[in-house]
Amino acid sequence: MRYKALKPNSRVAIAGGGLLGRLLAWQLLEHGHQVSVYEAGSLVESPSAAKTAAGMISPISEAIDTELLMYDLGMVALQQWPKWLQQLLQAMPDQPVYYSHQGSVIVAHQRDQSLLHQYRQDIQRQLLECAQGHWLDGTTIAEMEPDLEAYFRQGLYFPDEAHIDNRHLLQVLLTRIQQLGGECIEHTPVDTDVFTIRERLSYTDQHFDSVIDCRGVGAKPQWRNIRGVRGEILRVKTDEVMLRRPVRLLHPRYQLYIVPKPNSEFVIGATQIESEDCSPMSVQSALELNSALYAINSAFAEARILEMDVNLRPALNHNRPNIQCQPGLLRINGLYRHGYLVAPVVVQHTLALLLDSITLKHDFSEILFDGGESGQLIEETQSAYAIDER
Amino acid sequence: MKQNDSMTAPDSDLLSLYGETFSSRFLLGTALYHSPQIMCDSIKAASAEIITVGLRRQSPKNKSGEYFWQLIRDTGCRLLPNTAGCKSVKEAVTTAEMSRELFETDWLKLEVIGDDYNLQPDPFLLVEAAEQLIKKGFKVLPYCTDDLMFCQKLLDVGCEVLMPWGAPIGTGIGLMNPYNLKTLRERLPNTPLIIDAGIGAPSQACEAMELGLDAVLLNTAVAKSPQPEVMALAFAQAITAGRFAYRAGLIEKRQTALPSTPVVGQPFWHN
Repeated sequence: MRYKALKPNSRVAIAGGGLLGRLLAWQLLEHGHQVSVYEAGSLVESPSAAKTAAGMISPISEAIDTELLMYDLGMVALQQWPKWLQQLLQAMPDQPVYYSHQGSVIVAHQRDQSLLHQYRQDIQRQLLECAQGHWLDGTTIAEMEPDLEAYFRQGLYFPDEAHIDNRHLLQVLLTRIQQLGGECIEHTPVDTDVFTIRERLSYTDQHFDSVIDCRGVGAKPQWRNIRGVRGEILRVKTDEVMLRRPVRLLHPRYQLYIVPKPNSEFVIGATQIESEDCSPMSVQSALELNSALYAINSAFAEARILEMDVNLRPALNHNRPNIQCQPGLLRINGLYRHGYLVAPVVVQHTLALLLDSITLKHDFSEILFDGGESGQLIEETQSAYAIDER
Repeated sequence: MKQNDSMTAPDSDLLSLYGETFSSRFLLGTALYHSPQIMCDSIKAASAEIITVGLRRQSPKNKSGEYFWQLIRDTGCRLLPNTAGCKSVKEAVTTAEMSRELFETDWLKLEVIGDDYNLQPDPFLLVEAAEQLIKKGFKVLPYCTDDLMFCQKLLDVGCEVLMPWGAPIGTGIGLMNPYNLKTLRERLPNTPLIIDAGIGAPSQACEAMELGLDAVLLNTAVAKSPQPEVMALAFAQAITAGRFAYRAGLIEKRQTALPSTPVVGQPFWHN
C-alpha cells in the first residue's frame, strides 16, 4: 500500500473517541504528532460500542462463531495487547489495566451436550491442532473454575484466549492522550473530508495534515454500507460467585458469555440483532441474558444488575474491518463484534501507513484494504478524491 | 401421463404457489449467516427464488432493520416474511400485519410455536391464526407438523400450501417420519407441500423430493456450514435430483437380486 507518511510533528484529527480513535490518538502522540480527537458524545462517559463491549480477545471462539480470519487476527492481538499495556503501564504505573490471558471455558447444559461436540468438531475441522483446546471433565472444571463445578460435568477449554478491563482501558487511554497534550473535543459531532473536519453544530471547518475517521456507526451518513447491529449486555455485581475466565454457554439459539471484571462485576452478553434500534433492552433479551447467568450458577440470583446496556456494532456487509485511504483522509470502520480482537491489527496497519517507523510483522493488507466496499462511500467523498496531496 | 419429452426441460416443471410459478424448488432462510455478504452469495448459489425473512426482534415499527431488509430486497427474490418466535395468535397476527406493510407482500410463512425447546408448532393456535390471517387477505404458508388431520384443518380454513416439518427446526435430523409425509402426499395430491425445517444434509432434501414433496425450505444446514455457498449449491443439486427421480419414477424395492443383464439360456434355472 503506497501512502504518504506523515511529516514530523504533523497535525492529525481523529473523528470518533472509541477504542480505535483512542489507540490511534495515543500512538500518534507517542510518535510526536499533534492530535485532536473529536467525539460526538462525552469522552468520559463514552457512548462507543467499545464501552458496552465485554472486552474479550477470543480468537478461537470468534473464528468458530464467525469466520476463520478472526483466528489469525486474534493471534496478533494476543501478542500486541500486552505490549501496549506495558507501554501504558510504564507511563502510568499507578493505573495498571487488568488483562488476563488464562483462556476461556465453554460449557453446555446436559441436554445440549451435542452442541459441545458440534463445537469441538467445527474446531477440529477448521483450526490447527495447536488451537483446538481440550475437554474438561467435572474434576478439571472444579480445579479451574470451582463455581462452575456443581452445574457442569463437561466442557471445553481454550488456553489462548484473553480478556481485558475495557472500560478502565478507555479511561487510561484518555488520560494518557491528555498527558501527551492531545486535544480532546467532546460533544462535537463532525463530518470528515480530506484534510478537513466539519463541525456539524457550528458549520465550521478545521484543517489538518491528515484526518482519520473512526466513528463507527456515526460514520454512516458518509459511508453507505455501514450498518449497526444491535447488541445488548447486562453488567451485574456479586461477591457470591468467582470466575477467573470468560465462560461461554452454548445453547441451541443463543450464544451467550459471562466475562468476569474487576470489583466482583460480570458482563453478560450479548444479543445480536440485525437492527439499528438503540432503544433500551427488551424483556426477551433481559430474560435470555439473566437465564444464562442463572444457569451458570444460581448464586447469581442475588447479584445486583448495574446496567442493561445497548449499543450498535458498526459492520460492513462482509462483517470484516475495512480501511479506506485517500490523501488526507483515512476511514476505518466495520470492527463489528470484534473490537478488541481486531483493533491491534487495524491500528498497526493504519500506523504503518502514517509512520515510516512502523513495519508489519503480519500483513493483512489484502483483507483490510480490500476495495470491495470502497465503491460504497458516498459521492461527496469520491469527488473529494480528486484533491491532490499537499 | 406422457411427459417424457418435457421431463428435463426446466420450463415444464414449475412450482406453483398461490398462483405464482417458480422454477426453483429450494426456498432459503436468511438467518444465522456469518455476514450479509455470505447470505447474499448463498442465495445466489442456491438459485433460490423465494427467501424467508423474520422481523420479530428488529423493531419493525421504527424500521431500524431497514439496512438489512434492503439487502434482502435487493436479492430480487420473492420475499416470504415469517412470524418466527410468535407464541400466540395475537403476536402472529400483529407480526404478520407489520410484515405485510414493510415488505409489501401478503405472503406469509406462519409460525406459531408451542414449545420453547424444540420449537414445535402449536396446531390449535396455528389453525386459529391461519383462519384469521386468511380472512385478512394473507396468503398463508403454515409451518406445521406432518399430521394429516392437522394439515387437513389448515386446508379447511383456506391455506393453499402446507409446510410440514421434516424434524424440529435446526436439528438436521432429516425426515423423522417418511410414512406420514408419504401419507400427506397421497392424500393431498393437489396441495403444494414444502418440507420446512429439520433438514441437515442434501441427501435428506433429495429424499423428501423423491417422496414427491414439492419443495424444500431450509436455513441452518446452509448458514451454519463452514462453506455456506458450496453447501447451498449442494442442496440445490440434491433437490433437483430428487425432483427428477420422483417424476421419472422409482423402482419398487425387492427382496431378491434381479440381473440387469438378461442371462441367455437360463430361463427357469431355479426350482
